[in-house]
Amino acid sequence: MASSSITPLNLSSSFSSRPILSPSTITSLGAATRRQEKRPRAATVKAMGGGGGGGAKYKGTKMREARLREIIEEKVAEAKEACEGEAAASAECRVAWDEVEEASQAKAHLRLKLEVLRQDPLESFCGDNPETDECHVFDGDEE
Amino acid sequence: MAVCTVYTTQSLHSTSSISTPSKTHLGFNQKKQILFYNSGKRVANRGITTVPWVIRCSGDTVVIGLAADSGCGKSTFMRRLTSVFGGAAEPPKGGNPDSNTLISDTTTVICLDDYHSLDRTGRKEKGVTALDPRANDFDLMYEQVKALKEGKAVDKPIYNHVTGLLDPPELTKPPKILVIEGLHPMFDQRVRDLLDFSIYLDISNEVKFAWKIQRDMAERGHSLESIKASIEARKPDFEAYIDPQKQYADAVIEVLPTRLIPGDNEGKILRVKLIMKEGVKYFSPVYLFDEGSTISWIPCGRKLTCSYPGIKFTYGPETYFGHEVSVLEMDGQFDRLDELIYVESHLSNLSSKFYGEVTQQMLKHSEFPGSNNGTGLFQTIVGLKIRDLYEQITASKAAAPLEATKA
Repeated sequence: MASSSITPLNLSSSFSSRPILSPSTITSLGAATRRQEKRPRAATVKAMGGGGGGGAKYKGTKMREARLREIIEEKVAEAKEACEGEAAASAECRVAWDEVEEASQAKAHLRLKLEVLRQDPLESFCGDNPETDECHVFDGDEE
Repeated sequence: MAVCTVYTTQSLHSTSSISTPSKTHLGFNQKKQILFYNSGKRVANRGITTVPWVIRCSGDTVVIGLAADSGCGKSTFMRRLTSVFGGAAEPPKGGNPDSNTLISDTTTVICLDDYHSLDRTGRKEKGVTALDPRANDFDLMYEQVKALKEGKAVDKPIYNHVTGLLDPPELTKPPKILVIEGLHPMFDQRVRDLLDFSIYLDISNEVKFAWKIQRDMAERGHSLESIKASIEARKPDFEAYIDPQKQYADAVIEVLPTRLIPGDNEGKILRVKLIMKEGVKYFSPVYLFDEGSTISWIPCGRKLTCSYPGIKFTYGPETYFGHEVSVLEMDGQFDRLDELIYVESHLSNLSSKFYGEVTQQMLKHSEFPGSNNGTGLFQTIVGLKIRDLYEQITASKAAAPLEATKA
């Protein structure tokens, strides 16, 4: 292995208070230099996000978050109904839970984009179309 | 016959197509000695170079398949992969905001949900889940992946996960590296044969359950029971259609609960295996200390202090679905930077370009889930392996015309 210079690292630093490694002791590697905030990691048992806010910049994104939330609620109720009693092994039951999973995955990905990657999916669209209703910007944690 | 296509990067729609004979005395330089034609009118080279353009010749695109059951936008794996090549992967600019595609300078990531033949309503009517092959158009998938691999742009459908509908197609141009991610990248034999490398993300049931709890418990409508029911209901289709693909994968990342803490079922500490097929062209498995031998290694001790429960590595040859494989396993998690560097310095065949590259890549994305355990580590290593594979393939293609001229 060729040895080469690495950015000087503080090897004795301990981050035992936080389970993840933090680049805060090292000079920026050129990638995202966002400040590490103290928020629970996705891998801890306490779930991340869920409620409103948490990073959506544009109205359109907030609407999508809300829509997905609704879909999840609806589909869980539908699935419980479709799987009652003998119907538990039916195709309807399986499809119903698959719909729940689809919406849950979509919601989780959106949350990941907003909270970890700090990107609003409408960024590029709203850059080109700032006047549309979907691109109304929220300041801070306005609901 | 090699087909080369010119794309202007500003406009999605202006393309000029020219073909060059593959056997030519021009050798490597064939790309530079081409005249550009635009709708019959001859345009000088100089005129076009004022508009940023890129030329893509057939056979340039390397295709990677990634199978997993966590939906598209496995953003963290993809970001690790694309960042190894440099540049960040973004959704396509100016198109459908609900597009699932990610594009960086070198890489385009396509979500295979875009090849659903049935939308949400259609699937409900027919009584099939998204996992079912009947809900997917493998003919179109094959056709388009083949076209992209050959350097041709395609109009790829978009599956909108919010509305559950199939939206109008988006123009997708052939990249240097095409990643197809989703439930069925290796299901259809024809598509499988187009893949230069394939990965399967295998999450064990216990870990899946723990992750879904973390993911869904905060959502209104979900409860422990509903999460459990959802997993159970999807199991039959998953086991019938998705799971069997892992036998075809060149690399499998298997995520299991830890063995370091007896009775642990919280899923916080993970045991992750990197199962690497032997004999795959351009892919040399990572190893610990002595290739082909069996090793058990606990790095924590006199030189390295780890906090509970520590880290344990194993490495060795095994058989997986009748194939010879090498398995590298990490159980536990990293708490400090020096643990990561120490581990990296003892692994061989990483395909890193400099000492500490794996550590640096892990740090770049330290906020991503999995950054302190085997999932992040092995995803990063797979990224380096893919880079290595890509470089070897392109080098061998460049050498081919030279060989032809010598003949």
